[in-house]
Amino acid sequence: MKLSPLSIPYRALQKASTVLVALFFLGTSGTVDGVVTIGIGVLVAAAALAYETAYYRRFEYECTLDTFDIASGVISRRDREIPYGRIQNVDVSRNVLQRLLGIAAVDLETAGGSSTEGAIRYVAASRATDLQREIRRRKATRADERSAAQEADRRASDLDSADGSKPPVPTEDPETELFTLSPAELALVGALSFDPRLIGLLAFVGSGSVPVLSGFLPSTTAFVVTITGVIALGLLLVASWMVGAAVAITNYYGFRLTRTGDDLRYERGLFKRYSGSIPTDKVQSLTITDNPAKRLAGYATLTIETAGYAPGQGGTYGSQAAVPLARRDRVRELAREIEAFDDPDFRRPPARVRVRYAIRYVAIVVALTAIAFGADRFVAATIPWYVTAALVPVAVIAAHYKWVHRGYWLGENHLLTRVGFWKRKTRVVPYYRIQTLIDARTVFQRRWRIATVVADTAGSSGFIGRDAAALDVDAADADRLRADLSDRLRTALAERRGRGSSNATPTDVTADPERPPVENETGTPDVDRSAGDGEFRWVTDETQSAADAYSSETGSNADVDPDADADRHSDADPDADGNSDDER
Amino acid sequence: MAADPTSDSAAESPPPDPATVTRRLDGRIRVVWILRSVLIAALLAGLTVAIGRFVETPRWLPALVGGLTLALAVPYAIVRYRRWSYAIREDALYLDRGVITRVRTVVPLVRIQHVDSRRGPVERATGLASCVVYTAGSRGADVRIPGLTPEDADDVRETLKRLAIRADGEDAV
Repeated sequence: MKLSPLSIPYRALQKASTVLVALFFLGTSGTVDGVVTIGIGVLVAAAALAYETAYYRRFEYECTLDTFDIASGVISRRDREIPYGRIQNVDVSRNVLQRLLGIAAVDLETAGGSSTEGAIRYVAASRATDLQREIRRRKATRADERSAAQEADRRASDLDSADGSKPPVPTEDPETELFTLSPAELALVGALSFDPRLIGLLAFVGSGSVPVLSGFLPSTTAFVVTITGVIALGLLLVASWMVGAAVAITNYYGFRLTRTGDDLRYERGLFKRYSGSIPTDKVQSLTITDNPAKRLAGYATLTIETAGYAPGQGGTYGSQAAVPLARRDRVRELAREIEAFDDPDFRRPPARVRVRYAIRYVAIVVALTAIAFGADRFVAATIPWYVTAALVPVAVIAAHYKWVHRGYWLGENHLLTRVGFWKRKTRVVPYYRIQTLIDARTVFQRRWRIATVVADTAGSSGFIGRDAAALDVDAADADRLRADLSDRLRTALAERRGRGSSNATPTDVTADPERPPVENETGTPDVDRSAGDGEFRWVTDETQSAADAYSSETGSNADVDPDADADRHSDADPDADGNSDDER
Repeated sequence: MAADPTSDSAAESPPPDPATVTRRLDGRIRVVWILRSVLIAALLAGLTVAIGRFVETPRWLPALVGGLTLALAVPYAIVRYRRWSYAIREDALYLDRGVITRVRTVVPLVRIQHVDSRRGPVERATGLASCVVYTAGSRGADVRIPGLTPEDADDVRETLKRLAIRADGEDAV
């Protein structure tokens, strides 16, 4: 199938526009002769048109039985086949001009790769929706065929249960609406959005203009400076807020989330219309975000992450597939619709860590006060520098909430983590989505005998903040968590693969074999011989003392173990041997 | 490389694999790391000399900068080597490393996408190689085991490949 013929002029215009604009300015400024610029402009436009015509003639896409094929390229040609099963998202976007022309851009995302794997620029708008539906249908058919074949195999091997039921016939599932953003909620989304970029921009511009301005204002009192500063800051905040609101409203105007069979479909946007489909079986993780304002009003945000988006590709507003705002129970319901997780009972970091957070925040306050004091001393204006000291109680409260909000919870099939004292994020990661487990302990964390366990998924971006991380858990807990998660991953994978073919993987995680205590008097590296339980605790002479320091924690900290996981953890109790607290 | 094989594995697992032991890096990796720090120290000292041409600085400053860098980097390289260990078990690849921040990584074999063994110019000069394990994770790409002998690197690669095929994830994403 071909692209829309309208894509030729549109693409040509897109390609040539920068050159044409530059030429226009050159021509009007009079540095270059007008006729020459027009000539060059015509040439550029003609070249762009010719190239795009060739591109159009060469570009072909097709839905075959198993794969989506794209043949493209003018100078270097490329034939690409994307198996339906590998397609993560199908996104359709249309900006204002594209909407006027009735064309749309279709992006097929697969996991991996740094760019969109299947970019179709541009097809007729109706065709784009058809494509989205067609790919979804083909994918479902493929999956059904596969499960039907498995079913047939099972029945052949198990003749007793031949009840003669037919494999399900693939049908077009009805579209059910999951969520629509009401106008009131849209207004609230706007009201709660704040775009800090404006402040950054103004700070950048302003930093250059201050010396200039101060030349014009020869005699001012500190009072006037302070008042002007406060007013300017207020205006800036209001402006930022308005920009943020405008961006958010145009982004989320007419937001709809629907479900068709196993696919989620969203639509949004005022000027630029986005719509996309997300197969629920490709969802990597869910994130529920709120902040004090949202919490007070009982609202939250839900973000759906798939492996399809390359870092930084999700647009300025992060992941495209997000419910911007909904009542908290609604968000939970929606999240459960996608990933069925239980009510979490978060396990917090050990209480001693609160002190650490308080120390850190107070240190920041002290640094701020020192800066203010320095400014007061060495800059002419007198600043009430001691005012910042009033932030100390705030720091303590922040530290408390940081501790309160941090935690992790191991559910039946999901790992839930929570973080953030202001913007609180709850992440839901199915065990079978975990890619690697990383246990990191900085020097400071080792001092407090805590660790951070990160469950890395094939998520959208590699930012540290984006991964599900159990932050600052007790060191001994971290050891167990790591082992537990790796066990649960294997179990979940085995379950997903079907019981028939999974005898190679242990399915019972709770049966934790007795781990022999590690003896290590000799200087030779000693292997902890419990490879079966997945515990990552081999010991060498030099790590022995550190390991002791980690494990010594459980004894003193048994009381912060109130949750249901206690029984699971109790038989994985680390060696209660002599400890050396040389770590502290 | 002294380590004994895990003798008591789970009942259904095959006979103990020589690969399922804790391993250390080859000692020569220290040389590589120390040489690298020497290079960095030289660069920093050179930079200080260059700055000294424009700004008035004490004559001993380059030596101090270079010496300080070396004094920090050489013990760091040695401790780094002492802290590095890895193990290939039947379920996952385990890495334990890091001086300032201790990092332990568990890479389930099911998740391995592909494995490279590599030999850069410095590694070839010292007769070493490294092995890079890729997963689909957003941070998986830097699972790299440096300081292996070429045979070891190939061995690790083959073992991981074999175990990963056996673990066989249906859809690694």
